[in-house]
Amino acid sequence: MMAAAAGWRDPAPALSDPGPQERIAARRRRLAAKRREALGEDVELKVAQVEEEQRRSHKQIEESRQRLAKLLFDGTQMVTNIQVAADLREMQRRAEEAELKLQRVEKLENEAKSSTYKFEEITSKWALAKEMTIPQELWQLLNQQQQQCALLLEEKNKLIGELQQELKNKDEQYVWAIKKQSDDIHLLLERMEEQIRLMLKNYRHELLQIEKAFELERRELLENNRKKWEEAIQAHNAQELEYLHARMRKVEEFEKQLNQLRVQDEEEYNSMKIQLENDVQNLERQLQQMKAVYQLNQEKLEYNLQVLRKQDEENTIIRSQQKRKLNRHFAISDAEKFTEVWLMNEEEAKGLMRKALDADRVIHTQQLGLPWEEPRYWFLNNVGPLGHYKVKRMATKLAAEVLTESSSGGQEEEGREKEKEEVGSEEGGKENTAKVEGRVTPLRNISKRTAKRILELISDESGFLIESKLLRSLQALGRHERTLMKLDSIFAALEIDSEDDLYQLVDFFLKYKAQEMAVSQSQGSPGAEDVTDLTEDREDGGSGAQRNKLKSPRSLLGSLPSVYFHADDVLKILKAFVRGFDKLREKDRSAKEVLQLRDSSKDEEYWEALAHVIPKPTLKLWDALAVALEEYYEILMQRASLLAEVDLLQQQNSELCLLLEEYLSSGVNSKLLSPPTKWMDLNLSCPGEAQWVPGARARLFSAPS
Amino acid sequence: MWASAGREGHLVSSRTPSTLETRAPTKAQRRGPPALAFGSFGSPAGKCGGDSQAIFLLLLLKEKWVLSRMQQSAAGDRSTAVPSLYPSQASLTADSYYTYRVIEDPEWSLATVPHLTELCLQHIVHNFEKNPILDCLLPEHQRKVLDRLSTGLPLAVTANLISDEDYWKRCCTERWQACDISNYGDSWKQMFFERHLENILKCFIPNTTDPNQVLELIPLCKDYVRKLEVDQFLPPVQMDQKEESDDLSNTGSDFEFGEVSIHHYDLGVLITALPHLEELHLTYGVKDCGMNFEWNLFNFTHQDCCNLAVAVKMCHNLKVFKLTQSKVDDDKTRLLVRNLLDHPCLVELNLSHNLIRDKGAQAVGKLINHSRLQTLDLCNNQIHHLGAQALARALAENSTLTSLNLRLNCVEDKGGEAIGRALLTNTTLKSIHLGSNNLSEPTAMLFSQVLAQNTSLTSINFSCNHLGLDGGKQLLEGLADNKALTEFNLRLAEVGQETEYLIHQIVWANREAARLGSLQHPSAKPI
Repeated sequence: MMAAAAGWRDPAPALSDPGPQERIAARRRRLAAKRREALGEDVELKVAQVEEEQRRSHKQIEESRQRLAKLLFDGTQMVTNIQVAADLREMQRRAEEAELKLQRVEKLENEAKSSTYKFEEITSKWALAKEMTIPQELWQLLNQQQQQCALLLEEKNKLIGELQQELKNKDEQYVWAIKKQSDDIHLLLERMEEQIRLMLKNYRHELLQIEKAFELERRELLENNRKKWEEAIQAHNAQELEYLHARMRKVEEFEKQLNQLRVQDEEEYNSMKIQLENDVQNLERQLQQMKAVYQLNQEKLEYNLQVLRKQDEENTIIRSQQKRKLNRHFAISDAEKFTEVWLMNEEEAKGLMRKALDADRVIHTQQLGLPWEEPRYWFLNNVGPLGHYKVKRMATKLAAEVLTESSSGGQEEEGREKEKEEVGSEEGGKENTAKVEGRVTPLRNISKRTAKRILELISDESGFLIESKLLRSLQALGRHERTLMKLDSIFAALEIDSEDDLYQLVDFFLKYKAQEMAVSQSQGSPGAEDVTDLTEDREDGGSGAQRNKLKSPRSLLGSLPSVYFHADDVLKILKAFVRGFDKLREKDRSAKEVLQLRDSSKDEEYWEALAHVIPKPTLKLWDALAVALEEYYEILMQRASLLAEVDLLQQQNSELCLLLEEYLSSGVNSKLLSPPTKWMDLNLSCPGEAQWVPGARARLFSAPS
Repeated sequence: MWASAGREGHLVSSRTPSTLETRAPTKAQRRGPPALAFGSFGSPAGKCGGDSQAIFLLLLLKEKWVLSRMQQSAAGDRSTAVPSLYPSQASLTADSYYTYRVIEDPEWSLATVPHLTELCLQHIVHNFEKNPILDCLLPEHQRKVLDRLSTGLPLAVTANLISDEDYWKRCCTERWQACDISNYGDSWKQMFFERHLENILKCFIPNTTDPNQVLELIPLCKDYVRKLEVDQFLPPVQMDQKEESDDLSNTGSDFEFGEVSIHHYDLGVLITALPHLEELHLTYGVKDCGMNFEWNLFNFTHQDCCNLAVAVKMCHNLKVFKLTQSKVDDDKTRLLVRNLLDHPCLVELNLSHNLIRDKGAQAVGKLINHSRLQTLDLCNNQIHHLGAQALARALAENSTLTSLNLRLNCVEDKGGEAIGRALLTNTTLKSIHLGSNNLSEPTAMLFSQVLAQNTSLTSINFSCNHLGLDGGKQLLEGLADNKALTEFNLRLAEVGQETEYLIHQIVWANREAARLGSLQHPSAKPI
């Protein structure tokens, strides 16, 4: 038993091999070797690689596990061997027992058989004994029988003894078996304990081994890692050093380059600086030059600017004048148009009016047989727009007038008469006339002579205002004309166009003189002031303060007709006048605008009056007449229709007469028994009646109601 | 001394709950509102049985409260240690208090005064039998109480109240020397009750012992007993009979006479009352009889068998049933099998070391296919080839049995061949033991076929047979391509060392492969 166990325990350690994978691989290799011997080497190589890759600790664990499993298995075998052995013993015992039992049974059976045979023998002899009569024989037989019985019994007893001996042997065997069993159990315990000890030891050992393996592996791993780490660090250091060197080199290089660049830059900078400084100097020089030029130009331009400004101002003035002129032109044309329209309408209205008056006259004279008198209304004679004043005369015209007036004194009165008449014709009994007179009066206040004198002075002294070319050509003309031409060009230069301007000029002259005189005789004549006041009172209701101012010297001047103007003063006065003229004229213009606005309030009245030229009673009369005439017309119409009937009847009558005549004249009549001509009183005067009818009608018509 | 003083003080003037913090903790002023102190210990005090007990507890609590107040004030004076109510810091605070107290009263010492909790717990421990208080205690107090409880307390008190393993461990170790709780579901309590019950049953003498001894135990242990392992059943004592039986033991003439009285204890009442019983190991015999040996000490009567069979049938949770060394013969086997047919849980049946012959084996064969049996042990019986053939027939159809043990029978080649043929079709059996069965070469030949075909068998035991060298070679051939077998016992089977060694190699390789496979499936056991 032990031998058997040990038998296959021995080779085990020899084959205690690497892990299962290798073993599997090895077995595979074995199996596959037959099929692919050629490729076998590759496989082995592969396996070798796998083995190499195996970690040592794992290998150790695997080995330990293998060993321990082996040990455990062997130990278990060893322990269970006892049981198996006991089983075998038991089986053998049973077999022996069975055999012995069989023998015993056989023996017993044999014995029983023989004993029964003997017993039968004995029993059969009993019957013989009954036949026995001889006592000896019987005794002998009985003895025999007894002997045989004893023999039988002895045999039986012997058997019993044998069996008892066997029993005793069995008892002994039992005791021995028990002893054996206890021995076995002891052995079992011993082995188990030993096994436990062994296993413990082995486990500890293997654990140690595994730990060692792990430790080793760890150490190796650490070593490897450290080595790797150190290598890496060294490599790193070397690289670092290399980089450092490279960097240093580069730094030096760069430094060199930097220095070079710096020097270069410095040189460049210097040259550039010099160049730029030169440039600056040049430019400064140029700048100076430019400044000088600029100064010059500035002065020039300033001068030009001033000139241009002046021109501009002049232009503005001219433009405004032009505008003014244009405006005036438009106003004039408007006024003209207005007048034309007015006249046209007035003519038409007057035609209609005349027609109506004619109709009225016809009605009165022919229909009613009343005397007709033409009505006299103020508007019947009116021609042109209401309040239409005379167009201002031009300055030159006025000047010419003045000059001529002064030259022909007699005509002066006539001209004034004519003017007066004109004014009178314009008059509608309104303030209009007063205004016109108010404006005309200043001229009156200035004596013609004085005005003439002034104008002549101006024309003589202001020759510089006239173009030399014109002046030369004037030499050929007469004194009067020359003066006029001169004045014309002077006025053009002084921009004196209108009547008022001229008046103002003359006024200014007079005023200037008066002031001069007042300065010289101021203390001498205080009464002059009172006179001025008086004139002011008298001239109240004038146009404005300015005019009043002007009037006061004028009135003063008017009282001093022979004023002496020195030729030298003319220019001074003109200068002063031109200075104040613009201002003055502006104010005047606004005043003039106001004056020119027409008053159209009377127009409606005028036109209304024109429309009602036939008075209301007359119209009523006309209405009544119309009604009567209407009635009369009705009657006449009836009459006319009656007359038409009469005509028709007469025509029928005449036709009938003709027919009758025809009938009568025809041959048939003669053939009749009683011709109608015989019993008919024929009247053939029908056409004569027809001639009468128109005459009657005419009578009817002519017959007045 | 101090305790009595405190108690006095409390009894004299207990209701002055004012300005305690400011007062110096002199002896006369050690008092406080009991209402405050009751907060933590109200429930145990309320559950106290007697009035005197309650008062006592009350006083104890009072002391505890005063003590804690003093500790607090002392700590407050020193302004270092945090005032604590817990015993873990008691020593520290006690020391500090001691130094403080020495100034006032040099004779007084706290060291002699145990902690109030301690006193309470001590009291609970002392009176546990009369007044078991455990569940309502704080966990650490429970621990203390359990540590101090006597193991001699009546089971009626402890059985259903204490579930603490340490307590039962103490009980077990005090009572028995060898204690291996791995056989008892790793539970000391289970171990205690199972062994306690087993002991009672072992010593039970019918007609002498009071059956109430067992019946009283049932309600106490029924929740904890899962396994019963009774290896001894005492027969009833019959003094007058004994004399006669001495002489007539061999003849067996007294069989009729003692029939009524030689029955063993009827387990029916007990095991049907144990709802969790899963394993039942029984041996009808007497241990250590020594020179008092008598055959009728080992008499498993028919009545006993009837009782047992009925009881086992009623035991629905039973998984393992072992009836060994009990002279179970064919009739009894059939009786048992009849009652075990279609048992809902039974997984393992062990009838080893009995007197079962072919009839009994036939009955067991019937049982195999009418239950969920996985393990069947019939070792050391007298089953011959007929019984083996019956078992083989059953095995051929079966799909539950995984282990079959027929050691020490004499099925011989006829039976062995029948079983081998059955294993050609069976795919569930994993382990078979045919050791010591007088098998020889024909069986070996058939089993070589089985080894070539069957892939479920992992363990075969042919020890102590006469397979012979040829038989061994046959088996080796059959095993050549087998990958499942991990155990093949051929010891003393006369197959020759070489064959045995080669077979061992193959099996070893298979085992390694299985181990590697089990590494991927952790459920399987290595080796």
